[in-house]
Amino acid sequence: MKLAEAWYLSRIPYKEVVYRSIADEKGRMWWGAFGQKHSGKEDQSDSELTKKALKIAKFDKIIVAIFSVVVSAVPFFSSFFGAAAHSLVSSAVLSIAVTFGLTTLYAIQTLSSFVNTESSVLLSTLPVARDDFSLITLFSFLRSVDYIVVSSILSQVVLTAYLSASLLATLVMFIASVISAVFATTAALWFSRVFQKNLLRGGRSRANTVLRLAFILMWGFLLVVVGFLFSIPLYIVPNLEQMMLGGGNVPSILLSLLFPFSPGIVIGATVYSNVPLTTASMASVATVGYGLFAVLAGKWSLGTVKRISQGSGVKIAREIAKDFSVKTRSPLLGYVFKDVKIASRNPATAFFFALPALETVLITLIISSFELLKTTVVLISASMGGLFVLLLPLALLSAEGRGFEYTKTLPVSSRKITVAKALVSTATYIPVPMALICLSLIKPFASISSIFIPLLMIGAVTSASVFEVKIFLGSAARGKIAAVVNDLEKLVVGGFTVLAPIVAYSVVFLKSFDHVLSILAMGGTVLAEITVAFYILRLTGCDSKNT
Amino acid sequence: MQSKVGLASEPLIEASGLTKQFGSVQALMNLNLRVMPSEIYGLLGPNGAGKTTTIKTILGLLEPTSGWIKVGGFDPAVNPIEVKSKIGYVAENPIVYDSLSPRDFLEFVASIRKTDQTCTNRLVTQLASAFDMANYFDSPIATLSLGMKQKVAIIAALIHQPLVLLLDEPLNGLDAKSSRIVKELVSFHAEKGGAVLFSTHIMEVAEQVCTRIGIIDQGKVIAEGTLSQLKGKTEGKGSSLEEVFLKLTHEEDEVADTTRMLREIILKNEVS
Repeated sequence: MKLAEAWYLSRIPYKEVVYRSIADEKGRMWWGAFGQKHSGKEDQSDSELTKKALKIAKFDKIIVAIFSVVVSAVPFFSSFFGAAAHSLVSSAVLSIAVTFGLTTLYAIQTLSSFVNTESSVLLSTLPVARDDFSLITLFSFLRSVDYIVVSSILSQVVLTAYLSASLLATLVMFIASVISAVFATTAALWFSRVFQKNLLRGGRSRANTVLRLAFILMWGFLLVVVGFLFSIPLYIVPNLEQMMLGGGNVPSILLSLLFPFSPGIVIGATVYSNVPLTTASMASVATVGYGLFAVLAGKWSLGTVKRISQGSGVKIAREIAKDFSVKTRSPLLGYVFKDVKIASRNPATAFFFALPALETVLITLIISSFELLKTTVVLISASMGGLFVLLLPLALLSAEGRGFEYTKTLPVSSRKITVAKALVSTATYIPVPMALICLSLIKPFASISSIFIPLLMIGAVTSASVFEVKIFLGSAARGKIAAVVNDLEKLVVGGFTVLAPIVAYSVVFLKSFDHVLSILAMGGTVLAEITVAFYILRLTGCDSKNT
Repeated sequence: MQSKVGLASEPLIEASGLTKQFGSVQALMNLNLRVMPSEIYGLLGPNGAGKTTTIKTILGLLEPTSGWIKVGGFDPAVNPIEVKSKIGYVAENPIVYDSLSPRDFLEFVASIRKTDQTCTNRLVTQLASAFDMANYFDSPIATLSLGMKQKVAIIAALIHQPLVLLLDEPLNGLDAKSSRIVKELVSFHAEKGGAVLFSTHIMEVAEQVCTRIGIIDQGKVIAEGTLSQLKGKTEGKGSSLEEVFLKLTHEEDEVADTTRMLREIILKNEVS
C-alpha cells in the first residue's frame, strides 16, 4: 500500500477517535433535552452531529496549534529584549520543555480514545493486509497531533534560524524539536495505555487506585511545571543561562546530560565561542544518545500502535465478586461519588484532582524565599488555587459522557447535579487553605487576618462552580453544539467570580491600609456571590419540575 | 412495588394525540395509547416506526410537539421527577457509565432512587445471581458484552420496584437463559399490578409475553388488541403474529417481491 493511500485511509479511524473523544468522553451533545423545559434541540441527525464534532475538532486543533506557536516562541522573547548575553540557549531549552508538556497533555486528551481498539474496528473487517492496517492506524494516531507538532517545530526552527543565523544551530534545533515531539507522543501513548490497562483490570483492588493516583499526580505535576515555565521565562532565563554555561561546575555538567538542556547547550556551542569544551562535548554526546533513545521510543510507539490495531495486548482480569451488596447513599452523595469515580478514571480529566496538592507544592516554592507569609503571597496563592479548581466543573461535565443519557431517565434535578459538582470542586480546593495554614506554622502570616483569605475563597470557588455548571446547562438547553464551544464563557465568569474578592481586598487595602477592613470587603463580595449562587439554585429548584 | 395499584380501572400509561416532529420528519402522528395495571403492552413496528420515540416521550426525555401523556396520573412535562420515580427503563442500546463497574453503577442508581439498603441488597443479590454476574460485578462496564450490559440495565430498571416498566428491546444480546428470566420478571411485575410497555421486533417474544399488542407504523398505532383480536382483523388469513404484522403494515407483498428479487440476484450472480 502506498503511503499516500494509507494516509488518506487513516482519516477513517482518526475521525472515529476524534468523534469518540468529543462525543463519547465529553458527551456534551447528549446534554440537550435535559436543561430547562426539555428545550434541548434533539432534531439534529447523527450525521450532522458527527460533521459538527469533526469541525469542532479541527477548530480545536488549529487553536491549539496557534497556542503552541505562541508558547514555543515566548521563551525566545527574552533574546529579543536582550535579557541575557547568550539567552538563545536557555530560550531553546525552555521552548522545547514547554512544547513537550503541551504536546503530551494535548495527546492524552485524544489518545485515551485511540488506545481503545474499537477505534480501528471499522477498517479491521476489510480485506487489508495486517502491515497496511498497522500503517493506517499509525497515521490515524499521528493525525491527532500533526498540527501541534508541525507548528511548534516550525516556530522553534524559524526563531532559532533568525536569532542564531547559523545553519548548524538551526539543524540541531530541528533535531531536538523532533526528538521532543517523539518523546511527547510516546509518553502520552504510554500513559494512556497504562491508565487504560489499569482500568480494564477492574476489581476492587486498592493497589490499582493507588497506581492511578500516582499517574494523576505525575501528570498534574507536569501541567504545573509547564505553566510555571511558561509564566516566568523572563525571570528564569538569565539564571538558567549562567547555570548551564558555567564551565566545569556540577550543575552545568548535570544539565548538559539532561534533555532538553543538552541540545540547548549544543546550539549555544555552535553560535558562541565561550561555551566550555567539556560542557559542549558532553552535551553533544548526550544529544546523540537522546536521538537514539527517540528512535527506540518511536519503535516502541510503532509496536504499540500495531498491537492496538490488532487488538492484542489488552488483558482483562475477571475477579469473582464475593457478594453483590451495594451501598446506598443520599441522592446528592450518590451523585458526588459517581462524579469522583468517573472523572478519576478518565485519563483526560483525572489530573484535575491532583491540582490542589500540586498547588501546595507551588506555594511552598513561592514562599521559600520569604521570612513571613506576606498577604500578597497569600492572595496570589489562594486565587491561583481557585483558578486551577475552575477547570474541575468543566472536567466533571465532560466526564459524564454518553452515560448522562441514562442519568436523564433518573429522578434527579439539575439543581442536585449542580450542587454535586460544586461540592466536588469545593472539596478539591480545601487542601489549599489547609496547606497555607500548615505553612503559617513554619512561616507566620505577616498579618494574622490573612488566615481568612483562603477560607473566604472557599465560598468564591463554590459560587464560581455553581455559575460554570449553570451556564453549561443553560447553553446545553439552547442547543447541543452551543454547549461545546462556550468553555471560554464559563471560564471567564468563573475566573471573575474567583478574582472579584481578591480585587475587593486589594482595592480596599490600597485605600485604607487596613487588613481587617479589607477582609470585611472581601467577605462582603464572597457573601454577595454566594447569595447570587443560592438564588440561581433556587430558580433551578423551580425549573427542576421541568427537568 | 412502589405503591400498590389502587384503581385498577385507571391506566398507568396514557398518551393522547401524541405528535412528535423532528425537523421535517414526523416521528409520531396523533398516537393514542393506554396501558392498564397488570397489563403487558407489546409495541410492535417496523424500523423507524416510532417505538423508541414513543417510549422516550413517555419517559419525558423528548417533549411532544402536541398531545399529552400521563404516567400514574402525572404529566412528564409538568412532574418529571415524579414520573421518572415511577418508571423503570431499559434502553434499546444499554448506555451506562462505561468506567463504572456494575456495582458502582447500581449504587449510583439506588442512591438517586432513594431505595432501602436492605431491600436493594436482597433484590440485587437475587437478580445478579440469576444473571450469573459474579465474574463481572466489579469489572468496568466498558469491558462487558452487550448482553451483560443489558443485564446491568435490567437490574437498574428493577432496583426501585417501579410501577411502570418501559422496555425498549430488552432482550437485545441476552442468552436463552437470561431471556427467559427477563420474560418471567416481566410477568411477575404485571402479576403484582404493574404496567409494562414492551417494545420488540421479535414476534415470538410479543406472542409469548404480551397480553395486548399495539402495531405502530409511521408514528401511528394502526392496530391494537390481543393476539386473537389482531388475527381477526386480518380476516383470519394470518396464522402467526408475523404474518398479521406484515399484513397490517402492508408489507406482505413488498416482502414477497423483495425476497424474489434477492433470490434471483444471489443465485444467478457468482460470488467474486
